[in-house]
Amino acid sequence: MEYIDLNNLFPLRSSNFAKDEIFDVAVIGAGVVGCATFKEFCEQGAKAVLVEKANDILDGASKGNSAILHTGFDAPPDTLEHECVQRGYTEYMKIKDDYNLPFLNTKALVVAWNDEQLGKLDAIQNKGLGNGVKELDLLTSKQIIKKEPNLSHDAKGAILVHGESLIDPWSAPLAYVKKGISCGGKTAFSHEVQDGSFNGKYWVIKTSQKPINAKVVINAAGLYGDIVDKIKGTQDFKIIPRKGQFVIFDETAYNLINSIILPVPTKRTKGVVITKTAFGNILVGPTAEDQESRSDSQTVKETLEDLKNKAFHMLPALKNHKVTATFAGLRPASDETFYRVSINDEKNWITVGGIRSTGLTASLGLAKHIFELHDTRYEKNPKENEKITVPNISEFAPRDNQKEGYGKIVCYCECVTEREIKNACHGELGAGNIGGLKRRTRAMMGRCQGFNCEAAVTQICKNEVENNE
Amino acid sequence: MNNIQIAIIGAGPAGLSAALELKKLGYDDLVVFEREDEAGGTPRHCGHLGFGIFEFKRVLSGPDYAKKLAKLAIDNKIDIKLKSTLTKIEKGVLTFSTPEGIKQYRSTCTLLALGARETPRPDRLVSGARSPNVITTGTLQRFTYLQKIKPFDRAVIVGSEIVSFSAIMSAKHAGIKIEAIIEEKDEIDTFCIVKYMVKYLLKIPVFTNTKLKNINGKDKKITSVTISTKESEREIPCDGVIFTGQFIPESSIMQKSFDDFNLSNNSLYISQNFQAKSDGFFVAGNAIRGALAAFKCYFEGKKVAKSIHDFIRFKHEAEFVKIEADENISWYYPSLIDLKSPIKEHLTTLRLKKRARGVIKVLLNERVVYKKNIHAFPFVSVSIPWKHIELKPKDVIRLEFVTLPFCIFYHNILKKYAKLSSFILFLLVSPLVR
Repeated sequence: MEYIDLNNLFPLRSSNFAKDEIFDVAVIGAGVVGCATFKEFCEQGAKAVLVEKANDILDGASKGNSAILHTGFDAPPDTLEHECVQRGYTEYMKIKDDYNLPFLNTKALVVAWNDEQLGKLDAIQNKGLGNGVKELDLLTSKQIIKKEPNLSHDAKGAILVHGESLIDPWSAPLAYVKKGISCGGKTAFSHEVQDGSFNGKYWVIKTSQKPINAKVVINAAGLYGDIVDKIKGTQDFKIIPRKGQFVIFDETAYNLINSIILPVPTKRTKGVVITKTAFGNILVGPTAEDQESRSDSQTVKETLEDLKNKAFHMLPALKNHKVTATFAGLRPASDETFYRVSINDEKNWITVGGIRSTGLTASLGLAKHIFELHDTRYEKNPKENEKITVPNISEFAPRDNQKEGYGKIVCYCECVTEREIKNACHGELGAGNIGGLKRRTRAMMGRCQGFNCEAAVTQICKNEVENNE
Repeated sequence: MNNIQIAIIGAGPAGLSAALELKKLGYDDLVVFEREDEAGGTPRHCGHLGFGIFEFKRVLSGPDYAKKLAKLAIDNKIDIKLKSTLTKIEKGVLTFSTPEGIKQYRSTCTLLALGARETPRPDRLVSGARSPNVITTGTLQRFTYLQKIKPFDRAVIVGSEIVSFSAIMSAKHAGIKIEAIIEEKDEIDTFCIVKYMVKYLLKIPVFTNTKLKNINGKDKKITSVTISTKESEREIPCDGVIFTGQFIPESSIMQKSFDDFNLSNNSLYISQNFQAKSDGFFVAGNAIRGALAAFKCYFEGKKVAKSIHDFIRFKHEAEFVKIEADENISWYYPSLIDLKSPIKEHLTTLRLKKRARGVIKVLLNERVVYKKNIHAFPFVSVSIPWKHIELKPKDVIRLEFVTLPFCIFYHNILKKYAKLSSFILFLLVSPLVR
């Protein structure tokens, strides 16, 4: 019997560029913002490198979120967040078909559950209109029931936000990095940034593997943003990780709602959302719990129970369905609510920090914004228009199991094929750990949580890794 | 679209024995669909002995039993389509994902022998770190018996149904040390004798009345678990956690496709003929309820074959009366009574969620028509006889269980007695096991 460490199934990656190579920019952090920024700079012709401490993309804050493409109707008006969310939305709509990324316009209902909340709806609508989101309708409780017959009849009123939509939070960043690589960008995974020095011309970033030279550093280190920012000499903000726990219900519950059910937000948080996901489930969450640890994403039984009960109150029929998964994500909130984006011209350092909750939507807009801040012209990359696609793993379009020749289905709950798993193990952007494999294929993420397939998936990955070597 | 007379979904003990029986009855237009790449079902990865005693009069291991069943099916020229995953049931059309693409079938009769699985961690809402090393018995068996992989070195088992004994055997086979067995209830969930075997022969500590409070770990690696009783808390170092039991039918496709889904059983409402309300659909084996031994599924397969045979021959209009149950009952079968069926063996058979002493009541249109004092274990079935109950169409039957507080005294005496008798049995059996 061979012992296999499931946490180290995939070998640690090294990088494929020379030690003395000097990049135009180094993007630190391969979260969704880092990935989008990397893509933008590569497309614009900059020689860029994406530096990440984990062995795969999306290993920190970006792996756990509610996967909604926001319109920005409730964004703080006239802020960078507001601008980037809307710009990011428009950008996503432009590129999604090229990259084969899913999109489902489910619309959202901001539901008021009591009179106090009902009183706030007008203000929310006005804020939305002020933010340039025109398609907002006020609904009465009767109209809500007509639209969402399974929703608790306690709903007093709601605002229908037409633009709110669902996307796949894992495939989009993957596509961004793929695009960056195709334009000549380099990646350095398992390179944990430790220190750096600026010699007036370029930065020498010390990492856990080889040092990386770059004229400009973009700090998109998410949960570690404030620590990385110290390297430039001053620290302007502090990250206060905010944990969000989620409960995912089985696909049997998928048709219980049509739109995203949002609560009336408080000052602190957008609150607990009930939404469908691109993967055919119902998602409930997140909570908002400030904590010290930047890596501890443990779930807590009592909190999960509380989440479940909240969801049952809003959507009683959910009681009849099983929980498929529970998880927690960490948001890189800072000591202020706004995005901490700044440029230090003397030091050639750009900070992109405190992107606490709208990062998935805002990422493409942020990337554009950062490039403008950078204010340097490069010769546009000739491969800028080259077509890059990622495999569809969402339920909104045909998946691999509907095309013949896939070998066999390995993960039955999520209908993941042998071909998909094999493909996810290969290439410069192949899975770097089990989590990465799950995010690329959905394997083991279904209701049986690997009862049927974990052993088989492990075996396939092991064989593929051996073949790669 | 292909038309077939009989479609059987699942090539496990129930599905294959039904196919064999139907073949014997002369049905040739019959296809068995299986999502795995070999037939045999769950026994394929149950590496321990104890299969085939009643069916083949021999003691076989799970994999040998599965092979024997599969070979029997192939020898009898049963068409088994492997690697075919049922993805949709809509208006009587079955849609499969197969390596050759999407395939659709329309059948006169469909037997859903989908099997069961254990409840994994998420639905139990356990606190702590997430890790690929938190698995179920089924996963462990597949790791050790099918892929020959040892996923961790020392593990804690959560739950003490009989399947946790299989988990111990699989762990032993893989060289994994079991640090403890944890059970929330005040006694283990199977025969006492198993506890003595685990405790004294295998020297594994068994903690009853104990909850798994937290799974401790960092960066997806497990370092220990924290367990707690009412009085105290302690930490057990380990690098794996195995959740065992709490079997539920593999029934999401049923819940998605049919309106008459029974939430108590996590399956369809099924009559004493194994027939669902939807015309031509039958359910058998573990897809009806949690997991039962393979031989029970095997014999159920034979029975359902006869029902399908009758259904095709007589085409009688069924007239169903529904049975509902309260939350003390973990499952009951049948959950529908077909008034036109000649089968009147039992009204229903049920199991309780917890060991308890009390009264089981049958309410017919909210009037108690039958009462029985029982002292039941969660792993022993209780049958309700049919006599004294006259049923008419549109009747509603409800099963209720009420714990009787004054029974607690007797309960405790009985418990002691049970322990004593188990211990004596243990003394008698242990030399044989050694």
